[in-house]
Amino acid sequence: MRMRGCTAIAALSLSIGLFASAAAQAEPKTNFLSQWDTGSDAAAIAKLGDMFTAAGGKWQATSIAGHTANTLAKLRADVVAGNAPPAVQLKGPEIAEWNETGKTANLDPIANEEGWDKAVAPELLPVMKPKGNWVAVPMNIHRINWLWGSKKALDKAGIKEMPKTWEEFNEDCEKLKKAGIATPVAYAAADWIDATFFETIVYGMDIDLFRKAFVEGDLKALNSEGMQKAFDEYRTLLSYTDKGRQGRDWDAALNMMAKGESGFYIMGDWSIGTLNANKFKYGEDYLCTRAPNNSGKPGFILNSDSVVFFTQKDPDYIAGQKLLAHLIMSKDFQVIFNQAKGSIPARLDVDLSGAGWNPCQQTSQKDLQDSIKAGTLVRSMAHNMTVLQKYRGAMMEVITEFEANPSMPSKDAAQKMADAVEAQQ
Amino acid sequence: MSEVAAYDPMAAVAGWRYRRARIGVYVILIAVAIYAILPLLVIILNSFRDLDDIAHRGLIAIPLAFSLDHWGVTWNKFCVSGGCNGIAPFFYNSLEMTIPATIISTIIGAINGYILSMWRFRGSEILFGAITLGVFMPGQMVLLPWAITLGSLGLTNTIGGLVLIHCIQGLSFTTLFCRNYYVGIPEDLIKAARIDGAGFWRIFRKIVLPLSPPILIVTVIWQFTGIWNDFLIGLVFSSGSGQPITAALIGLATAGTSVHEYNVESAAVLIGALPPLLIYFFGGRYFLRGLTQGAIK
Amino acid sequence: MTASSISTESNTVSHGVLRERAARWLPQIVLTPSLLATFLYVFLFSAWTIWISLSNSSLLPDYKFVGFKHYGELWQNHRWTIAYTNLFIFGTLYVTGTAVIGLALAIIIDQRVRAEALWRTIYLYPVAVSFVVTGTVWRWIFNPASGIEAMVHGWGWAGFHFDWIASRDMAIYTVVITGIWNHAGFCMVLFLAGLRSVDQDLIKAAQIDGASMARIYRRIIIPSIRPIIIAALVVLLQFAIKTFDLVQALTTGGPGISTQVPAIYVYDLMFQRGQLAEGAAGAIMILLALAAVLVPYGLWRNYQRRREVARV
Repeated sequence: MRMRGCTAIAALSLSIGLFASAAAQAEPKTNFLSQWDTGSDAAAIAKLGDMFTAAGGKWQATSIAGHTANTLAKLRADVVAGNAPPAVQLKGPEIAEWNETGKTANLDPIANEEGWDKAVAPELLPVMKPKGNWVAVPMNIHRINWLWGSKKALDKAGIKEMPKTWEEFNEDCEKLKKAGIATPVAYAAADWIDATFFETIVYGMDIDLFRKAFVEGDLKALNSEGMQKAFDEYRTLLSYTDKGRQGRDWDAALNMMAKGESGFYIMGDWSIGTLNANKFKYGEDYLCTRAPNNSGKPGFILNSDSVVFFTQKDPDYIAGQKLLAHLIMSKDFQVIFNQAKGSIPARLDVDLSGAGWNPCQQTSQKDLQDSIKAGTLVRSMAHNMTVLQKYRGAMMEVITEFEANPSMPSKDAAQKMADAVEAQQ
Repeated sequence: MSEVAAYDPMAAVAGWRYRRARIGVYVILIAVAIYAILPLLVIILNSFRDLDDIAHRGLIAIPLAFSLDHWGVTWNKFCVSGGCNGIAPFFYNSLEMTIPATIISTIIGAINGYILSMWRFRGSEILFGAITLGVFMPGQMVLLPWAITLGSLGLTNTIGGLVLIHCIQGLSFTTLFCRNYYVGIPEDLIKAARIDGAGFWRIFRKIVLPLSPPILIVTVIWQFTGIWNDFLIGLVFSSGSGQPITAALIGLATAGTSVHEYNVESAAVLIGALPPLLIYFFGGRYFLRGLTQGAIK
Repeated sequence: MTASSISTESNTVSHGVLRERAARWLPQIVLTPSLLATFLYVFLFSAWTIWISLSNSSLLPDYKFVGFKHYGELWQNHRWTIAYTNLFIFGTLYVTGTAVIGLALAIIIDQRVRAEALWRTIYLYPVAVSFVVTGTVWRWIFNPASGIEAMVHGWGWAGFHFDWIASRDMAIYTVVITGIWNHAGFCMVLFLAGLRSVDQDLIKAAQIDGASMARIYRRIIIPSIRPIIIAALVVLLQFAIKTFDLVQALTTGGPGISTQVPAIYVYDLMFQRGQLAEGAAGAIMILLALAAVLVPYGLWRNYQRRREVARV
């Protein structure tokens, strides 16, 4: 019965659709493939759908949770089957890779019309325009190098200020230990989390090394003394974590920090969504600041989610792509989406002083601008914004092995990382 | 274990040894039951807990307060897979995919098994081996070939395409189960029927099918749960609001950057596992039927 | 569907000879659609994958031949060798563990225990739970900070340790335990269906001869359900080989890369990293691992059958 009703409605709407498109011009429609599958993420995407519908479009979304491997499997199967999706969430170097296949749509007309070049953070431009043409639309800017501190634990240990350098960080961890906090650093082991911690350390010790090793994939930089030192610091940090880190989720570790079981945690600003959902309060339960940075300069490791459009034949879908790109770049959507995600708008011209924003997000926007001025803004390797996935995967395998194997010397790790990347070339 | 096996139910001698063996049996049954139930208990308890309770006291704890709200939210309000209508629509998608795929693949398997066990011909053993090979194909490997196949049939992103894939992938299993069960049916039965002049379909209907409930139940459970719980095929070959429930719910286990609502997701998982469980509850009694006390005697 | 259309066809054809011929070939005709589907699914898909593994495919399939270089690259990779070794460790323990426990449970339940349906239900329900959920919940249970270890510490036994999931050497066994949890019950019902089908007259005859129950199980019952046992082993073997979502949810291949399995790596290569050819090479290696088990078995069966024939 249900099925019959559905088909009837579908047939009816299809015939109306055919009529309409034959009679008048294209009626925008889309099918947006993304990883925002559940909870507040899905709610934010549903809002995008409402905006799309309100603008006269026909909205459909396909959501596939989690690590991008699933989304990419779906994308590849659709392309191979001959119906590439009109809009797909893709990141960093993947945008350039798919651009190479010649299957992506050119967004220059609408980008010029709306002045995207001036509105978007400069570090994102080469990612969104890999060959000079706009092929992707950024939805947000996440900051990776956040240091989260537990107010309760820090007060207990008499720590007045969040540490600014790695040396201070280590000293504070000792203080926490003495004050009876057995696990000064909250941690959850997984390759992407290991890489998040590690790249934050590398960045905080030597920005140039970060650029050479993780952005350019330079073998010498990967196997340098500086890299060994970063591994040393990583080992020290790991000594402040517990064995329960294996098999723990990233959000469970976040809760450990917010509850005061641990002093510190390093994780991107999507943490804010979870902290809000679990009713933890900024200033009472947790603090946030730039992760330790020995150079003393402002610092920002950037991660951005973006949407790529694949070439379509159906004029309805083409019209839908235009509308969707316009909506995603609109201030309205950037506010809705980023308030849900904990990130900040990819546009630099959105005011974050309103009530819906978390103090950490306000800090994030300010630090981003300072970092652009100081020339220290970088993209994240751990979150797939720099090198190709095969290099990133090779690096992450070594980092995660180092994390799990306490008897692996830093020297070997640096050597292995360079070897693993070389093997992929 | 040997004591257990040494128990002779026919003799029914009520002695010390017998009682000891009985106690042993129940000790083992209870121990294994704890192992089996523990994870279910964890999920059920989490489905009643508040999110900040889970955040503060961890994922394994007795609830401070029981709240049934999450179940309602899960069913028709939870934001999942591009909309905020709960898991109900995806639940129906799964039913629309799983029921036909299970029935078709089970029927095909029963017929194939019947042929390959009772109508053997030259080379039929080799063909059986070839069909069985189908169970070993890694899912990751067949994704793109399926994409090409469905693309050329025009079935991508349809429930029909999902049913087709699950039928073809499933017929290896169903054929294997049925054939290896039917091999155990005494040949004399079939021979007698053939001498009586019964044909291919008549023997199947009158002799083989009445003996089949135990294996058909196993096969249906297998197919139903396998298809229902598969996420890879469901994920890749569905689109928009057409996703099966398992594909829509993998967010629970993925390390994405989203907020985990463990309580609502736990309820979702439990609802998602209900249909396979119900199949078994209702099918279970057919196990009591022995082969030889069927229609033959 | 096919079956019924053929049956109506054979009824409507009235010419005697034709009808007889069709009837003679009926089994083969009915089997044909399944065989065609199998040919597509097993042989064409494998051939396509072999071709891709020898090609230069990266992001999308590309049919240009480059030879065996991707196999070389695969075997130079540390993570792949670990994954391949794990496949054999996990496969052996999981298949034997599940089959033995399943058989033991089936035999115990067959002893006319009270509330049989209850026990069967409890043991079987895990098979209704998806791997993703199974892996996730067991991860919570195995985690020393939130699971069993923490619980026992809570009871006051501070010296208790159960931290396999955090140990590079032991973590693979947590995968085994979880795998067994998932399928022991299914093996039990499969075996139970077999046990219930054994000819009661045979058993009675053996009892009259004075054979003990242990002996009856060993000599009569288990041999007569051998085909069912083989079906169960095949099912377990394919799970072992395809293990993917279970590990992904339970350990994500960690600690480090210690519980990687080939299917995860193949998926990563093919879809996440855009190295389709190398991923395809990995998939073919998985099939070869399977052949390493199946070919000797096939040869042994063949040898046995010939010996039986020779004896007759």
